[in-house]
Amino acid sequence: MLAAVSLVLLLLLWQFLSVLIDRTVVPTPLETWDALVELFRIGDPMSGRSVWTYIRSSLGTFLKGFVLAFAVAFPLGLILGYSKILRELVEPAFEVLRPIAPVAWAPVFVVLLGYVLGPMMVVFVGIFFPLITSVIFGVTKIDPNWIDATRTLGATRIQTFVKVYIPSSIPYLMNGVKTGLGIGWMCIVSAELYASPVGGLGFFISNQAQVGYWPGVFAGIVIIGILGIITVGLSDYLHKTLSKRMGMDA
Amino acid sequence: MTDHGKDDTGTRILIDGLGKTYRRDGKDTEAIEDISLEIRQGELVSFIGPSGCGKTTLLKLIAGLIPPTGGTVEIDGRSCTTPGADRGMVFQDFALLPWRSVRKNVELGLEIAGVPKAERRERAENYIKLVGLEKFADSKVYELSGGMKQRVAIARSLVVRPDVVLMDEPFGALDAQTRNIMQAQLIDILGSTDQTIIFITHSVDEAIYLSDRIVVLTKRPTTIREIIDIPWERPRDRSAPEFNVLKKRILDYLEKENVMEN
Repeated sequence: MLAAVSLVLLLLLWQFLSVLIDRTVVPTPLETWDALVELFRIGDPMSGRSVWTYIRSSLGTFLKGFVLAFAVAFPLGLILGYSKILRELVEPAFEVLRPIAPVAWAPVFVVLLGYVLGPMMVVFVGIFFPLITSVIFGVTKIDPNWIDATRTLGATRIQTFVKVYIPSSIPYLMNGVKTGLGIGWMCIVSAELYASPVGGLGFFISNQAQVGYWPGVFAGIVIIGILGIITVGLSDYLHKTLSKRMGMDA
Repeated sequence: MTDHGKDDTGTRILIDGLGKTYRRDGKDTEAIEDISLEIRQGELVSFIGPSGCGKTTLLKLIAGLIPPTGGTVEIDGRSCTTPGADRGMVFQDFALLPWRSVRKNVELGLEIAGVPKAERRERAENYIKLVGLEKFADSKVYELSGGMKQRVAIARSLVVRPDVVLMDEPFGALDAQTRNIMQAQLIDILGSTDQTIIFITHSVDEAIYLSDRIVVLTKRPTTIREIIDIPWERPRDRSAPEFNVLKKRILDYLEKENVMEN
Protein backbone atom coordinates (compact mmCIF):
# COMPACT_ATOMS: atom_id res chain seq x y z
CA MET A 1 0.00 0.00 0.00
CA LEU A 2 2.70 2.45 1.03
CA ALA A 3 4.71 1.29 -1.96
CA ALA A 4 1.91 2.38 -4.27
CA VAL A 5 1.71 5.76 -2.53
CA SER A 6 5.45 6.12 -2.91
CA LEU A 7 5.25 5.46 -6.66
CA VAL A 8 2.38 7.89 -7.12
CA LEU A 9 4.35 10.54 -5.23
CA LEU A 10 7.32 9.90 -7.51
CA LEU A 11 5.14 10.40 -10.61
CA LEU A 12 3.67 13.60 -9.16
CA LEU A 13 7.13 14.92 -8.38
CA TRP A 14 8.23 14.08 -11.92
CA GLN A 15 5.20 15.87 -13.37
CA PHE A 16 5.83 18.88 -11.17
CA LEU A 17 9.52 19.09 -12.08
CA SER A 18 8.95 18.70 -15.80
CA VAL A 19 6.43 21.54 -15.78
CA LEU A 20 8.67 23.62 -13.54
CA ILE A 21 11.93 23.04 -15.46
CA ASP A 22 11.48 22.55 -19.17
CA ARG A 23 9.00 20.22 -20.75
CA THR A 24 11.08 19.83 -23.89
CA VAL A 25 14.05 18.32 -22.00
CA VAL A 26 12.09 16.72 -19.16
CA PRO A 27 8.88 15.33 -20.68
CA THR A 28 5.98 14.61 -18.35
CA PRO A 29 5.18 11.03 -17.32
CA LEU A 30 2.32 10.91 -19.83
CA GLU A 31 4.50 12.10 -22.70
CA THR A 32 7.07 9.53 -21.73
CA TRP A 33 4.39 6.84 -21.63
CA ASP A 34 3.32 7.78 -25.17
CA ALA A 35 6.93 7.60 -26.35
CA LEU A 36 7.31 4.25 -24.65
CA VAL A 37 4.22 2.86 -26.37
CA GLU A 38 5.45 4.16 -29.73
CA LEU A 39 8.85 2.66 -29.09
CA PHE A 40 7.45 -0.80 -28.53
CA ARG A 41 4.95 -0.42 -31.41
CA ILE A 42 7.17 0.82 -34.21
CA GLY A 43 10.68 0.67 -32.78
CA ASP A 44 13.48 3.23 -32.63
CA PRO A 45 12.19 6.31 -34.49
CA MET A 46 15.69 6.90 -35.90
CA SER A 47 16.95 3.52 -37.00
CA GLY A 48 13.65 1.68 -37.10
CA ARG A 49 15.24 -1.08 -35.05
CA SER A 50 13.02 -2.90 -32.58
CA VAL A 51 13.49 -1.85 -28.97
CA TRP A 52 13.95 -5.51 -28.13
CA THR A 53 17.23 -5.48 -30.05
CA TYR A 54 18.57 -2.92 -27.59
CA ILE A 55 17.20 -4.72 -24.57
CA ARG A 56 18.61 -8.06 -25.75
CA SER A 57 21.98 -6.51 -26.39
CA SER A 58 22.19 -4.91 -22.94
CA LEU A 59 20.92 -7.99 -21.15
CA GLY A 60 23.33 -10.19 -23.12
CA THR A 61 26.35 -8.09 -22.17
CA PHE A 62 25.11 -7.90 -18.61
CA LEU A 63 24.60 -11.64 -18.33
CA LYS A 64 28.01 -12.45 -19.78
CA GLY A 65 29.69 -10.03 -17.36
CA PHE A 66 27.74 -11.53 -14.48
CA VAL A 67 28.57 -15.14 -15.37
CA LEU A 68 32.23 -14.27 -15.71
CA ALA A 69 32.25 -12.40 -12.38
CA PHE A 70 30.45 -15.28 -10.70
CA ALA A 71 32.82 -17.87 -12.17
CA VAL A 72 35.86 -15.96 -10.92
CA ALA A 73 34.61 -14.47 -7.64
CA PHE A 74 33.02 -17.57 -6.09
CA PRO A 75 36.03 -19.92 -6.21
CA LEU A 76 38.52 -17.11 -5.61
CA GLY A 77 36.47 -15.83 -2.66
CA LEU A 78 36.38 -19.33 -1.16
CA ILE A 79 40.14 -19.66 -1.49
CA LEU A 80 40.81 -16.19 -0.07
CA GLY A 81 38.37 -16.83 2.77
CA TYR A 82 40.09 -20.13 3.49
CA SER A 83 43.68 -18.92 3.42
CA LYS A 84 44.51 -16.06 5.75
CA ILE A 85 47.92 -15.58 4.12
CA LEU A 86 46.49 -15.24 0.61
CA ARG A 87 43.78 -12.97 1.93
CA GLU A 88 46.25 -10.63 3.56
CA LEU A 89 48.30 -10.69 0.37
CA VAL A 90 45.42 -9.79 -1.95
CA GLU A 91 43.10 -7.59 0.13
CA PRO A 92 45.22 -4.41 0.14
CA ALA A 93 45.27 -4.52 -3.66
CA PHE A 94 41.48 -4.99 -3.63
CA GLU A 95 41.10 -2.01 -1.33
CA VAL A 96 42.90 0.16 -3.88
CA LEU A 97 40.82 -1.07 -6.83
CA ARG A 98 37.42 -1.32 -5.15
CA PRO A 99 36.53 2.41 -4.84
CA ILE A 100 37.25 3.09 -8.53
CA ALA A 101 33.95 3.49 -10.37
CA PRO A 102 33.87 0.54 -12.77
CA VAL A 103 32.87 2.78 -15.67
CA ALA A 104 36.20 4.59 -15.32
CA TRP A 105 37.73 1.50 -16.88
CA ALA A 106 35.42 1.70 -19.90
CA PRO A 107 37.80 3.56 -22.26
CA VAL A 108 40.65 1.23 -21.38
CA PHE A 109 38.58 -1.94 -21.79
CA VAL A 110 37.02 -0.74 -25.05
CA VAL A 111 40.41 0.02 -26.57
CA LEU A 112 41.87 -3.26 -25.36
CA LEU A 113 38.92 -5.58 -25.89
CA GLY A 114 36.64 -3.85 -28.37
CA TYR A 115 33.06 -2.68 -28.29
CA VAL A 116 31.55 -6.03 -27.38
CA LEU A 117 33.88 -7.31 -24.68
CA GLY A 118 34.77 -3.87 -23.31
CA PRO A 119 31.37 -3.07 -21.73
CA MET A 120 31.14 -6.67 -20.55
CA MET A 121 34.38 -6.21 -18.63
CA VAL A 122 33.00 -3.04 -17.03
CA VAL A 123 30.04 -5.08 -15.80
CA PHE A 124 32.46 -7.76 -14.65
CA VAL A 125 34.36 -5.27 -12.49
CA GLY A 126 31.11 -3.87 -11.09
CA ILE A 127 29.82 -7.27 -10.02
CA PHE A 128 33.12 -8.86 -9.09
CA PHE A 129 33.94 -6.78 -6.01
CA PRO A 130 30.65 -7.03 -4.11
CA LEU A 131 30.52 -10.71 -4.97
CA ILE A 132 33.98 -11.65 -3.79
CA THR A 133 33.69 -9.46 -0.68
CA SER A 134 30.51 -11.30 0.31
CA VAL A 135 32.01 -14.74 -0.30
CA ILE A 136 35.13 -13.96 1.73
CA PHE A 137 32.96 -12.58 4.51
CA GLY A 138 30.80 -15.72 4.37
CA VAL A 139 33.79 -18.02 4.70
CA THR A 140 35.23 -16.10 7.65
CA LYS A 141 31.78 -16.33 9.28
CA ILE A 142 31.74 -20.14 9.24
CA ASP A 143 31.25 -21.58 12.71
CA PRO A 144 34.60 -23.27 13.48
CA ASN A 145 32.66 -26.04 15.23
CA TRP A 146 31.03 -26.99 11.90
CA ILE A 147 34.51 -27.60 10.56
CA ASP A 148 35.68 -29.46 13.66
CA ALA A 149 32.51 -31.57 13.67
CA THR A 150 33.04 -32.51 10.04
CA ARG A 151 36.72 -33.27 10.57
CA THR A 152 35.97 -35.52 13.55
CA LEU A 153 33.67 -37.48 11.23
CA GLY A 154 36.77 -38.29 9.22
CA ALA A 155 36.57 -35.61 6.52
CA THR A 156 39.63 -34.76 4.46
CA ARG A 157 40.40 -31.12 3.73
CA ILE A 158 38.69 -31.35 0.36
CA GLN A 159 35.63 -33.02 1.89
CA THR A 160 35.44 -30.25 4.51
CA PHE A 161 35.57 -27.76 1.68
CA VAL A 162 32.76 -29.47 -0.22
CA LYS A 163 30.54 -30.26 2.78
CA VAL A 164 30.99 -27.08 4.82
CA TYR A 165 32.78 -24.21 3.10
CA ILE A 166 30.87 -24.23 -0.18
CA PRO A 167 27.31 -24.72 1.12
CA SER A 168 27.69 -22.34 4.06
CA SER A 169 28.95 -19.55 1.81
CA ILE A 170 26.02 -19.77 -0.62
CA PRO A 171 23.64 -17.42 1.27
CA TYR A 172 26.45 -14.86 1.48
CA LEU A 173 27.19 -15.37 -2.19
CA MET A 174 23.54 -14.63 -2.96
CA ASN A 175 23.71 -11.50 -0.86
CA GLY A 176 26.68 -10.43 -2.98
CA VAL A 177 24.77 -11.28 -6.15
CA LYS A 178 21.99 -8.96 -5.03
CA THR A 179 24.36 -6.04 -4.51
CA GLY A 180 26.42 -6.96 -7.56
CA LEU A 181 23.48 -7.07 -9.94
CA GLY A 182 22.41 -3.59 -8.88
CA ILE A 183 25.87 -2.17 -9.46
CA GLY A 184 26.40 -4.22 -12.62
CA TRP A 185 23.18 -2.92 -14.12
CA MET A 186 24.31 0.66 -13.53
CA CYS A 187 27.62 -0.21 -15.13
CA ILE A 188 26.20 -1.67 -18.31
CA VAL A 189 24.20 1.40 -19.20
CA SER A 190 27.00 3.81 -18.49
CA ALA A 191 29.52 1.68 -20.35
CA GLU A 192 27.20 1.60 -23.36
CA LEU A 193 26.67 5.34 -23.21
CA TYR A 194 30.37 5.59 -23.52
CA ALA A 195 31.20 3.06 -26.09
CA SER A 196 28.78 0.92 -27.92
CA PRO A 197 27.93 1.38 -31.57
CA VAL A 198 26.81 -2.25 -31.46
CA GLY A 199 23.65 -1.37 -29.55
CA GLY A 200 22.29 -1.59 -26.04
CA LEU A 201 20.02 0.67 -24.06
CA GLY A 202 22.80 3.08 -23.13
CA PHE A 203 23.54 3.56 -26.81
CA PHE A 204 19.86 4.06 -27.52
CA ILE A 205 19.56 6.79 -24.90
CA SER A 206 22.61 8.70 -26.05
CA ASN A 207 21.33 8.52 -29.64
CA GLN A 208 17.95 9.92 -28.69
CA ALA A 209 19.66 12.72 -26.76
CA GLN A 210 21.88 13.58 -29.71
CA VAL A 211 18.89 14.24 -31.96
CA GLY A 212 17.06 15.99 -29.11
CA TYR A 213 14.17 13.53 -28.83
CA TRP A 214 13.80 13.70 -25.06
CA PRO A 215 10.69 11.56 -24.63
CA GLY A 216 12.80 8.81 -26.24
CA VAL A 217 15.56 9.39 -23.69
CA PHE A 218 13.06 9.12 -20.85
CA ALA A 219 11.42 6.04 -22.35
CA GLY A 220 14.88 4.43 -22.35
CA ILE A 221 15.43 5.47 -18.74
CA VAL A 222 12.11 3.94 -17.72
CA ILE A 223 12.98 0.65 -19.44
CA ILE A 224 16.32 0.57 -17.63
CA GLY A 225 14.62 1.25 -14.32
CA ILE A 226 12.08 -1.51 -14.79
CA LEU A 227 14.67 -4.08 -15.87
CA GLY A 228 16.82 -3.07 -12.89
CA ILE A 229 13.93 -3.57 -10.48
CA ILE A 230 13.17 -6.99 -11.97
CA THR A 231 16.80 -8.10 -11.76
CA VAL A 232 17.39 -6.95 -8.21
CA GLY A 233 13.92 -8.07 -7.05
CA LEU A 234 14.52 -11.53 -8.44
CA SER A 235 17.90 -11.92 -6.77
CA ASP A 236 16.52 -10.49 -3.54
CA TYR A 237 13.78 -13.10 -3.57
CA LEU A 238 16.29 -15.82 -4.34
CA HIS A 239 18.59 -14.72 -1.56
CA LYS A 240 15.78 -14.57 1.00
CA THR A 241 14.21 -17.93 0.18
CA LEU A 242 17.59 -19.62 -0.05
CA SER A 243 18.84 -18.24 3.29
CA LYS A 244 15.61 -19.27 4.93
CA ARG A 245 15.64 -22.75 3.43
CA MET A 246 19.25 -23.19 4.51
CA GLY A 247 18.42 -22.05 8.03
CA MET A 248 21.00 -19.29 7.83
CA ASP A 249 20.91 -15.60 8.49
CA ALA A 250 23.20 -14.07 5.91
CA MET B 1 26.55 -54.03 19.25
CA THR B 2 29.75 -54.71 21.11
CA ASP B 3 33.40 -54.52 20.26
CA HIS B 4 33.68 -54.18 16.45
CA GLY B 5 36.12 -57.11 16.53
CA LYS B 6 38.48 -55.56 19.01
CA ASP B 7 39.51 -56.54 22.51
CA ASP B 8 36.58 -55.78 24.77
CA THR B 9 38.30 -55.80 28.11
CA GLY B 10 41.70 -54.20 27.65
CA THR B 11 42.70 -50.59 27.66
CA ARG B 12 41.18 -48.76 24.77
CA ILE B 13 42.55 -45.22 25.15
CA LEU B 14 45.99 -44.48 26.47
CA ILE B 15 46.79 -40.89 27.32
CA ASP B 16 50.44 -40.56 28.25
CA GLY B 17 52.12 -37.41 29.51
CA LEU B 18 49.83 -35.21 27.43
CA GLY B 19 50.69 -31.52 27.53
CA LYS B 20 49.82 -28.37 25.63
CA THR B 21 51.61 -25.05 25.75
CA TYR B 22 50.28 -22.18 23.67
CA ARG B 23 52.75 -19.70 22.30
CA ARG B 24 51.28 -16.31 21.57
CA ASP B 25 53.29 -13.13 20.91
CA GLY B 26 56.43 -14.90 22.05
CA LYS B 27 54.88 -15.73 25.42
CA ASP B 28 54.24 -19.28 26.55
CA THR B 29 51.02 -20.22 28.30
CA GLU B 30 50.93 -23.71 29.68
CA ALA B 31 47.32 -24.89 29.32
CA ILE B 32 47.86 -28.53 30.16
CA GLU B 33 50.90 -29.63 32.05
CA ASP B 34 50.79 -33.38 32.21
CA ILE B 35 47.88 -35.78 31.90
CA SER B 36 48.17 -39.54 31.91
CA LEU B 37 45.17 -41.86 31.96
CA GLU B 38 43.93 -45.18 30.67
CA ILE B 39 40.34 -45.60 29.60
CA ARG B 40 38.68 -48.95 29.08
CA GLN B 41 36.27 -50.00 26.35
CA GLY B 42 32.71 -49.00 27.20
CA GLU B 43 33.68 -46.69 30.04
CA LEU B 44 32.16 -43.27 30.59
CA VAL B 45 34.83 -41.01 31.98
CA SER B 46 34.08 -37.40 32.75
CA PHE B 47 36.49 -34.57 33.27
CA ILE B 48 35.58 -31.87 35.69
CA GLY B 49 37.62 -28.94 36.88
CA PRO B 50 37.65 -25.27 37.81
CA SER B 51 36.62 -22.77 35.11
CA GLY B 52 39.19 -22.18 32.42
CA CYS B 53 41.16 -25.30 33.27
CA GLY B 54 41.63 -26.35 29.66
CA LYS B 55 39.01 -29.10 29.52
CA THR B 56 38.08 -28.29 25.94
CA THR B 57 41.75 -28.15 24.99
CA LEU B 58 42.16 -31.63 26.43
CA LEU B 59 39.25 -32.93 24.38
CA LYS B 60 40.53 -31.31 21.19
CA LEU B 61 43.93 -32.91 21.80
CA ILE B 62 42.31 -36.33 22.04
CA ALA B 63 40.24 -35.57 18.93
CA GLY B 64 43.44 -34.66 17.11
CA LEU B 65 42.04 -31.24 16.22
CA ILE B 66 45.06 -29.55 17.75
CA PRO B 67 48.57 -31.01 18.16
CA PRO B 68 49.99 -31.61 21.65
CA THR B 69 53.28 -30.06 22.67
CA GLY B 70 54.09 -33.12 24.75
CA GLY B 71 52.98 -36.69 25.26
CA THR B 72 50.72 -38.93 23.19
CA VAL B 73 47.16 -40.19 22.83
CA GLU B 74 46.69 -43.70 21.50
CA ILE B 75 43.65 -45.79 20.74
CA ASP B 76 44.45 -49.49 20.44
CA GLY B 77 48.05 -48.51 19.79
CA ARG B 78 47.15 -46.06 17.00
CA SER B 79 48.41 -42.58 17.57
CA CYS B 80 45.75 -39.82 17.47
CA THR B 81 47.58 -36.89 15.95
CA THR B 82 44.93 -36.02 13.36
CA PRO B 83 41.13 -36.21 13.58
CA GLY B 84 39.53 -39.44 12.49
CA ALA B 85 36.16 -41.13 12.39
CA ASP B 86 37.30 -43.38 15.28
CA ARG B 87 36.84 -40.39 17.63
CA GLY B 88 33.45 -38.72 17.33
CA MET B 89 32.72 -35.39 18.91
CA VAL B 90 29.61 -33.74 20.35
CA PHE B 91 29.70 -30.00 20.89
CA GLN B 92 27.99 -27.75 23.42
CA ASP B 93 26.40 -25.67 20.65
CA PHE B 94 25.46 -28.85 18.71
CA ALA B 95 27.45 -27.81 15.59
CA LEU B 96 24.79 -29.17 13.26
CA LEU B 97 24.90 -27.97 9.66
CA PRO B 98 21.79 -25.78 9.46
CA TRP B 99 21.18 -26.30 5.74
CA ARG B 100 20.84 -30.04 6.22
CA SER B 101 17.78 -31.86 7.49
CA VAL B 102 18.00 -34.07 10.58
CA ARG B 103 18.48 -37.10 8.33
CA LYS B 104 21.15 -35.40 6.25
CA ASN B 105 23.03 -34.29 9.33
CA VAL B 106 23.09 -37.82 10.66
CA GLU B 107 24.20 -39.10 7.26
CA LEU B 108 27.12 -36.66 7.05
CA GLY B 109 29.78 -39.01 8.43
CA LEU B 110 28.52 -41.84 6.23
CA GLU B 111 28.73 -39.61 3.15
CA ILE B 112 32.29 -38.77 4.09
CA ALA B 113 33.10 -42.46 4.46
CA GLY B 114 31.63 -43.12 1.01
CA VAL B 115 28.81 -45.38 2.24
CA PRO B 116 26.32 -46.08 -0.59
CA LYS B 117 23.08 -44.13 -0.48
CA ALA B 118 20.66 -46.92 0.44
CA GLU B 119 22.84 -48.17 3.30
CA ARG B 120 23.43 -44.61 4.44
CA ARG B 121 19.71 -44.04 4.72
CA GLU B 122 19.08 -47.24 6.59
CA ARG B 123 21.90 -46.75 9.09
CA ALA B 124 20.94 -43.13 9.71
CA GLU B 125 17.33 -44.22 10.21
CA ASN B 126 18.40 -46.64 12.94
CA TYR B 127 20.23 -44.00 14.89
CA ILE B 128 17.50 -41.41 14.40
CA LYS B 129 15.17 -43.98 15.97
CA LEU B 130 17.68 -44.66 18.72
CA VAL B 131 17.55 -41.01 19.79
CA GLY B 132 13.77 -40.94 19.35
CA LEU B 133 13.53 -38.48 16.48
CA GLU B 134 11.97 -40.64 13.76
CA LYS B 135 9.07 -38.19 13.44
CA PHE B 136 11.52 -35.36 12.77
CA ALA B 137 13.84 -37.08 10.28
CA ASP B 138 13.00 -34.61 7.53
CA SER B 139 12.79 -31.53 9.75
CA LYS B 140 15.17 -28.66 9.41
CA VAL B 141 17.59 -28.07 12.26
CA TYR B 142 16.10 -24.67 13.14
CA GLU B 143 12.73 -26.29 13.71
CA LEU B 144 14.08 -28.36 16.61
CA SER B 145 14.44 -27.57 20.31
CA GLY B 146 17.88 -27.54 21.92
CA GLY B 147 17.46 -31.01 23.40
CA MET B 148 16.37 -32.41 20.05
CA LYS B 149 19.31 -30.76 18.31
CA GLN B 150 21.72 -32.39 20.71
CA ARG B 151 20.09 -35.77 20.14
CA VAL B 152 20.69 -35.29 16.42
CA ALA B 153 24.33 -34.47 17.14
CA ILE B 154 24.66 -37.60 19.30
CA ALA B 155 23.13 -39.72 16.54
CA ARG B 156 25.46 -38.10 14.01
CA SER B 157 28.50 -39.05 16.08
CA LEU B 158 27.33 -42.59 16.89
CA VAL B 159 26.24 -43.57 13.38
CA VAL B 160 29.83 -43.92 12.14
CA ARG B 161 30.53 -46.30 15.06
CA PRO B 162 33.48 -44.48 16.56
CA ASP B 163 35.69 -46.12 19.17
CA VAL B 164 35.05 -43.21 21.47
CA VAL B 165 32.72 -40.22 21.58
CA LEU B 166 34.15 -37.00 22.98
CA MET B 167 31.44 -34.86 24.50
CA ASP B 168 32.25 -31.22 25.21
CA GLU B 169 29.67 -30.02 27.74
CA PRO B 170 26.96 -31.45 25.52
CA PHE B 171 24.09 -30.44 27.79
CA GLY B 172 25.56 -27.12 28.90
CA ALA B 173 23.32 -25.06 26.62
CA LEU B 174 20.12 -26.74 27.76
CA ASP B 175 17.75 -25.75 30.54
CA ALA B 176 17.92 -27.75 33.78
CA GLN B 177 14.85 -29.86 33.07
CA THR B 178 15.87 -30.80 29.53
CA ARG B 179 19.33 -31.47 30.85
CA ASN B 180 18.14 -34.11 33.32
CA ILE B 181 16.03 -35.77 30.63
CA MET B 182 18.98 -35.83 28.25
CA GLN B 183 21.23 -37.38 30.89
CA ALA B 184 18.76 -40.19 31.46
CA GLN B 185 18.39 -40.66 27.69
CA LEU B 186 22.16 -40.76 27.25
CA ILE B 187 22.34 -43.57 29.78
CA ASP B 188 19.65 -45.43 27.81
CA ILE B 189 21.40 -44.93 24.49
CA LEU B 190 24.74 -45.99 25.91
CA GLY B 191 23.20 -49.04 27.53
CA SER B 192 22.39 -50.31 24.05
CA THR B 193 25.74 -49.48 22.41
CA ASP B 194 28.58 -50.13 24.88
CA GLN B 195 30.14 -46.95 23.62
CA THR B 196 33.24 -45.47 25.22
CA ILE B 197 32.62 -41.85 26.20
CA ILE B 198 34.82 -39.03 27.36
CA PHE B 199 32.58 -36.39 28.81
CA ILE B 200 33.38 -32.85 29.82
CA THR B 201 31.09 -30.97 32.14
CA HIS B 202 30.82 -28.05 34.51
CA SER B 203 28.16 -29.85 36.48
CA VAL B 204 29.30 -32.06 39.35
CA ASP B 205 25.80 -33.46 39.59
CA GLU B 206 25.89 -34.49 35.93
CA ALA B 207 29.32 -36.06 36.28
CA ILE B 208 28.26 -38.17 39.25
CA TYR B 209 24.98 -39.15 37.61
CA LEU B 210 26.65 -40.35 34.39
CA SER B 211 30.22 -41.45 34.97
CA ASP B 212 32.05 -44.67 35.67
CA ARG B 213 34.95 -42.50 36.70
CA ILE B 214 35.35 -38.79 37.33
CA VAL B 215 38.69 -37.20 36.61
CA VAL B 216 39.03 -34.05 38.70
CA LEU B 217 41.42 -31.56 37.16
CA THR B 218 43.40 -28.76 38.75
CA LYS B 219 43.43 -25.20 37.44
CA ARG B 220 46.00 -24.20 34.82
CA PRO B 221 48.52 -25.58 34.11
CA THR B 222 46.19 -28.54 34.28
CA THR B 223 47.03 -31.88 35.85
CA ILE B 224 44.90 -34.62 37.36
CA ARG B 225 43.98 -33.89 40.95
CA GLU B 226 42.22 -37.17 41.60
CA ILE B 227 40.29 -39.93 39.90
CA ILE B 228 37.04 -41.04 41.53
CA ASP B 229 35.52 -44.44 40.79
CA ILE B 230 31.73 -44.58 40.83
CA PRO B 231 30.64 -48.22 40.84
CA TRP B 232 26.96 -47.48 41.59
CA GLU B 233 24.13 -48.97 39.58
CA ARG B 234 22.36 -46.84 36.97
CA PRO B 235 20.03 -45.06 36.87
CA ARG B 236 21.35 -43.28 39.92
CA ASP B 237 19.37 -41.63 42.65
CA ARG B 238 20.30 -37.99 42.98
CA SER B 239 18.84 -37.88 46.50
CA ALA B 240 20.95 -40.79 47.80
CA PRO B 241 23.23 -39.77 50.70
CA GLU B 242 26.43 -41.06 49.08
CA PHE B 243 25.58 -39.11 45.90
CA ASN B 244 25.39 -35.89 47.87
CA VAL B 245 28.43 -36.58 50.03
CA LEU B 246 30.53 -37.04 46.91
CA LYS B 247 28.94 -34.03 45.27
CA LYS B 248 29.79 -31.83 48.22
CA ARG B 249 33.38 -33.07 48.35
CA ILE B 250 34.00 -32.25 44.67
CA LEU B 251 32.15 -28.94 44.87
CA ASP B 252 34.19 -27.86 47.88
CA TYR B 253 37.38 -28.57 45.99
CA LEU B 254 36.27 -26.73 42.84
CA GLU B 255 35.09 -23.75 44.86
CA LYS B 256 38.43 -23.54 46.63
CA GLU B 257 40.31 -23.66 43.33
CA ASN B 258 38.05 -21.05 41.73
CA VAL B 259 38.41 -18.71 44.68
CA MET B 260 42.18 -19.00 44.56
CA GLU B 261 42.01 -18.16 40.90
CA ASN B 262 40.02 -14.96 41.37
